[in-house]
Amino acid sequence: MARWKPWAVAALTMFLVAAAPASPRYAEVRPGVALAFPADHGAHPDFRTEWWYVTGWLETGDGPPVGFQVTFFRSKTGSDPANPSAFAPRQVLFAHAAVSDARTGRLVHDQRIAREGFGLGTASRTDLDIVLDDWTMKRQADGRIRTKVQGSDFVLDLVLDSSQPVLLQGKGGYSRKGPAPSQASYYYSLPQLKVSGRIQRGRKAQAVTGQAWMDREWSSTLLDPSAVGWDWLGVNLADGSALMAFQIRDASGRPLWAGGTLRPANRPATSLGPDAVRFSTVRTWRSPRTRVTYPVERQLTVRLPGGERRWRVRPLFDDQELDSRAAGGPIYWEGAVTVEGGRGYLELTGYASPLKL
Amino acid sequence: MPAEALPTGVLRWMILGEWRAHPARVALGALAIAVGVALGFAVHLINTSALSEFSRAIAAVNGDADLQVRAVSARGFDEQLYPRVARLAGVAAVSPVVELTADLGGGPGDRLTLIGLDVLRAAAATPSLVGRGPAEVRFDEGSLFLSDAALRAGGHRVGDTVEVAAGGRPQPFRIVGDLPAAPDGQRIGVIDIAAAQWRFDRVGRLNRLDLKLAEGADPGAVRAAVSALLPPDAEIASPDSEVRQTDNLSRAYRVNLDMLALVALLTGAFLIYSAQSLSVARRRPQFALLQVLGADRRTILIQVLLESVAVGLLGAGLGLAIGLGLAQAALSLFGGDLGGGFFGNVRRPALTFSPGAAAVFGGLGLASALLGGLAPARQAVGAPPAVALKNLGDAVDPRRTPPLVPALGLLVAGALCALLPPVGGLPLFGYVSIALILGGGIAGVPWLARALLSPAQRLAPGAPSLRLALNRLWGAPSQAAVALCGIVASTSLMIAMAVMVTSFRSSVDDWLLQVFPADIYLTYRGDGDGFDEPVRRAMTAAPGVAGIAFLRTTSLRLSAERPPPALVARPDPGGSLPLVGGRASGPPPGLTPVWLSEPAARIYGHRPGDRLLLPLVDPATDKATTAFVMGVWRDYARQQGSIVLEQADYVRLTGDRLVNEAAVDLDPGAAPGAVVARLRAALPERLAGRTLITESRALRALSLRIFDRSFAITYLLEAIAILVGLAGVTATMSAQTLARIKEFGMLRHVGVLRRQIAAMLAAEGALLGAVGGVAGIGLGLAMSQVLIHVVNPQSFHWTMETHLPLSLFAGVAGALIGVSAIAALMTGRRAISQAAVDAVREDW
Amino acid sequence: MTSPLLSITSLSKSVPGGRVLFRGLDLALAPGEFVAVTGESGVGKSTLLNLVAGLDLPDSGTVTFDGVALGDLGEDGRTRLRRDRIGFVFQAFHVLPHLSLAQNVSLPLMLQRRPAREAADQGRRMLDLVGLGDRGDDYPNQLSGGELQRVAIARALVHRPALILADEPTGNLDAETAARVLDLFAAHVREAGAATLLVTHSKVAAACADRTVKLTPAGLVGNDAG
Repeated sequence: MARWKPWAVAALTMFLVAAAPASPRYAEVRPGVALAFPADHGAHPDFRTEWWYVTGWLETGDGPPVGFQVTFFRSKTGSDPANPSAFAPRQVLFAHAAVSDARTGRLVHDQRIAREGFGLGTASRTDLDIVLDDWTMKRQADGRIRTKVQGSDFVLDLVLDSSQPVLLQGKGGYSRKGPAPSQASYYYSLPQLKVSGRIQRGRKAQAVTGQAWMDREWSSTLLDPSAVGWDWLGVNLADGSALMAFQIRDASGRPLWAGGTLRPANRPATSLGPDAVRFSTVRTWRSPRTRVTYPVERQLTVRLPGGERRWRVRPLFDDQELDSRAAGGPIYWEGAVTVEGGRGYLELTGYASPLKL
Repeated sequence: MPAEALPTGVLRWMILGEWRAHPARVALGALAIAVGVALGFAVHLINTSALSEFSRAIAAVNGDADLQVRAVSARGFDEQLYPRVARLAGVAAVSPVVELTADLGGGPGDRLTLIGLDVLRAAAATPSLVGRGPAEVRFDEGSLFLSDAALRAGGHRVGDTVEVAAGGRPQPFRIVGDLPAAPDGQRIGVIDIAAAQWRFDRVGRLNRLDLKLAEGADPGAVRAAVSALLPPDAEIASPDSEVRQTDNLSRAYRVNLDMLALVALLTGAFLIYSAQSLSVARRRPQFALLQVLGADRRTILIQVLLESVAVGLLGAGLGLAIGLGLAQAALSLFGGDLGGGFFGNVRRPALTFSPGAAAVFGGLGLASALLGGLAPARQAVGAPPAVALKNLGDAVDPRRTPPLVPALGLLVAGALCALLPPVGGLPLFGYVSIALILGGGIAGVPWLARALLSPAQRLAPGAPSLRLALNRLWGAPSQAAVALCGIVASTSLMIAMAVMVTSFRSSVDDWLLQVFPADIYLTYRGDGDGFDEPVRRAMTAAPGVAGIAFLRTTSLRLSAERPPPALVARPDPGGSLPLVGGRASGPPPGLTPVWLSEPAARIYGHRPGDRLLLPLVDPATDKATTAFVMGVWRDYARQQGSIVLEQADYVRLTGDRLVNEAAVDLDPGAAPGAVVARLRAALPERLAGRTLITESRALRALSLRIFDRSFAITYLLEAIAILVGLAGVTATMSAQTLARIKEFGMLRHVGVLRRQIAAMLAAEGALLGAVGGVAGIGLGLAMSQVLIHVVNPQSFHWTMETHLPLSLFAGVAGALIGVSAIAALMTGRRAISQAAVDAVREDW
Repeated sequence: MTSPLLSITSLSKSVPGGRVLFRGLDLALAPGEFVAVTGESGVGKSTLLNLVAGLDLPDSGTVTFDGVALGDLGEDGRTRLRRDRIGFVFQAFHVLPHLSLAQNVSLPLMLQRRPAREAADQGRRMLDLVGLGDRGDDYPNQLSGGELQRVAIARALVHRPALILADEPTGNLDAETAARVLDLFAAHVREAGAATLLVTHSKVAAACADRTVKLTPAGLVGNDAG
């Protein structure tokens, strides 16, 4: 299991058509299917849900680094395929972006949502090219990815340059999500992305550089029924290595499933099974607004063929909580973190109340 | 400081003394003012309340958009406009909308505004239109959210499956939730936009774009940018322009009632003028004495004006209270349009009190009272005290012919004003004209009295009582005028209204015969359905039916600021419509022939032979249709105007094959009742309950009943006006009679019999009444022509032929003569008593 | 002595409040005789005139005019008597403002239904006699008090009445005008041969009369010397 972002959950539940006369048909995720690029950078509209998920760190030049996150989701609904209307809600696109600024000590975020159509919401099938109103993400001819999002409090206009090859997660991009073989997704990442571009916070615009991590995942299956939440971590290590780890928790807080990948620079990746990844809590933080307690400082232990490795995960600052209840979403924590010799992003969900799928 | 010379206590004492002596006159003046204030205030309150209710309804359907693009006809505009508008700078969100008038399954008349929207867009642009219910069924083609009012109207519950018909297509929907943000009483249904397009055959078309502007965006710039993108069949409308349209529509009927309010106020002013004139004339020695005692002229002027102000305040206060009650009663009994049907499907509104309006109408009442009191107040200080002390009555030399020039000047000015165009769609100059004609008429009353009485006076009849009466009226024309002005004002205005209403009614009667020539009419009383092809075949095949003409009535928006005129498709318009004026030959090739109703022709300024751009996209050219005006026809049914097309042209331009009206000719000898039953049987169940089938005779009778009902309040108020006017003349006559008691005493001394004095008074009263009747009817006729040819065409946009209610004239004249004579006689009882004899003595 | 034109016998009258104005009053007027009645204000002089004119009825006693008791005539009879046989002159003139002077003077003739032309001619002649011959078409509001009273005198005499009743005819006039009007009045009533009952508290006015009686609550106190 990777990035079952809470927003995706909210978006998905909105677009289920429970009472539709013809139950929607979704494509299945099967092992052994080779991913092909650039087509697999583009959308897979036959699958139920899909995302393009970028997290990273930016150097502003005149202050501490800031974290950022830009995500585009696509969902297939159960809309009647016979409906000839151009408004027929076959695909719904959703995007979310947030900036973690240590100086203000909190997150700013915004989102867009639309049904596909009229050129106002499109996701190309042949390459990464997504338009959602005034938000875009596109792989340019030179292979670099450009994304522009403008929220009410911030603007991001970034170019992501991949310095490393695609990192296929799981078995060649087939990634298990839970105890049942059907709980799986197609999953690849683009770690160690070089970032350049501009950020505007309030009225102040400035040039930035940095590095980012992009997750790509598509699937038609759901979480295990006993899951209540998950922890996910993605880190660009300074030596060029890439580390990803996740765990899915049940109601008792114990891991129901776990996994991860470690790819040392210029060497093959090691896929980590459920037994090879362990999160432990070093320090918790309690939100003064929601009174939810999050394990914001972690110890990650990974068992590799060559022995165990440990990383201490520390947040850029504690209050990176997102309360999206006003927009119909959940309460969760997602923020910039550091590890020894690396920077990354940590996502903590299901701590306020169980996430249901 | 005058008050020092004459303590206010003295003034108060004098005013109160005067009122105690003549309470009826004070009361009548106040009453007339009260009627005027009450009427004006009530009409304003009713309309304001109705409009605010209507604007709530509009706001409910429109959500809370900053700006709206709207289709000019129900057919909508091309949906490709949506992305183009959405990409404009300054536009934060655009919600595309399919808006349908629909019939909700259940009883007849369960109309519903059905809105198809994209919930994701509406959440940003018009959150109040977002339904409450399970999220997972929002995009389901079969999901329907209903407002509370719609749920209650049909007795439905969330979870029920209901049939919704729009555009002739009944479709099942499951009620999945409600619309908590819909205002009370608004019947709204919300479905997904794709479902609306698919299920109701609107694929590719939209009716509305609701825009939310970006923070800090310049609305004017966005407007301009949007309008540059618009095709001919779409237009920009801010949500309040629809309210303004309705205001335009109801304005004309308010004008009618405001006219009556004006009548009452003017009558009140004249009554106060009468009462104050008399009171001043009688007290002239008193005032002279006060002046001799050291009161300056201003003190006395102020005293007399204060009397009028007090009466005005009394009347205005009473009027505001009555107006409030009247408005409340009218709203709960008739609704916001007093039965006029202008506000459509809006529930009965709650009363909206406005202190500003109260101040304005109260102020008008006070101003009328002041206006009435001004001339008498000047009279009070006009005469030098020495002359005034002699108390010799009319200061004017009776030999001087009363001037005619000022009266003629006013009348001519009035006639000229009648020629001026409306101001902002209102016949303001028409009203100025009526006021000037009234003023001129009143100013001419002394001259008219002299002119009418001179021949009789020259005849010198033998009966002393008649001769005395004639001599007095001839010799004291301005006193006669004082007595007459109130009655002339109320009579003439009442006659004017009566002539207008009679003419209107007769014209409507004639028109009904012309527009309903067939035997039976069918009307589908819903918005979403109609008679489709199989139903039409079944109806045509019904035994006894000789022929059926099918009609389709929808609407077409020609201007954002005006209510959309009706668009009527019917066979052979040129041969079946009651045309007025000339008709053009044609049409030139390539143009679509249309026939405009009088209101449509006047509102949009077209004549036969003109070309007219219709915002219907012609499929042949993909451009707006150019129409050719073949003729103008009389249509009293639709104030907003109507445009008639050949049925084939309508279908070609709109693709709409539905019809919702039918006119049936019977076979000779067929029993109408039986055919009605067969026609009803030919209708499928979904239509039968909502289809009105009427024989044309009943239809005409019904129309006239509705006409009479909507003018009932007019009749009532006219009756009140004339009663107040008559009461005024009675009070004035009695006051004048009392003022002349010494004259009667002298006459008794020199040998005039009691009954001769009574006869003289009765003759005076009858003559006054006759003069008042002649003046009132003549003036009323003149003013009625202004109403018929200026005020009505300018405010309602239709014409009519003058029909004179002769029996009413006779009745009014008879009543005036009779009441005046009786009033004079009644007050004359004191004139022939011993008191009269004693009055001539200066000592015991 | 010829039989009296007017004879008053034992006349008593009280006001509505009960106050007795006079009691047991006797007076006789021969045809053409000019009698002045003087007395304090409020003693009932005007009331006496009303009783004589039949406009009011006494509590007791009789008024006989030309041998006929007024009490026997009835309301209409008394009115016709005034119309045909009696002329009035009032203190406050009581000229109708809406009638011309000629019309005002000929009013009694009009009441007798004389033809309009004859009445008008007669009226003008009377106006001529009181010195207002050229003003027949004028209206009262243009006249002075003295002129108005001359119009009233003309009106009182126009139908050649047998009796003139004058109630303080100079009361509203200044002394000089009063004197001239009084001379005119006396001259005309004598010339017309009408008996005159003049009520006044003016000694000057009373001096014109053949005799003067003084009205007191106890009755008339004679002064036959005149």
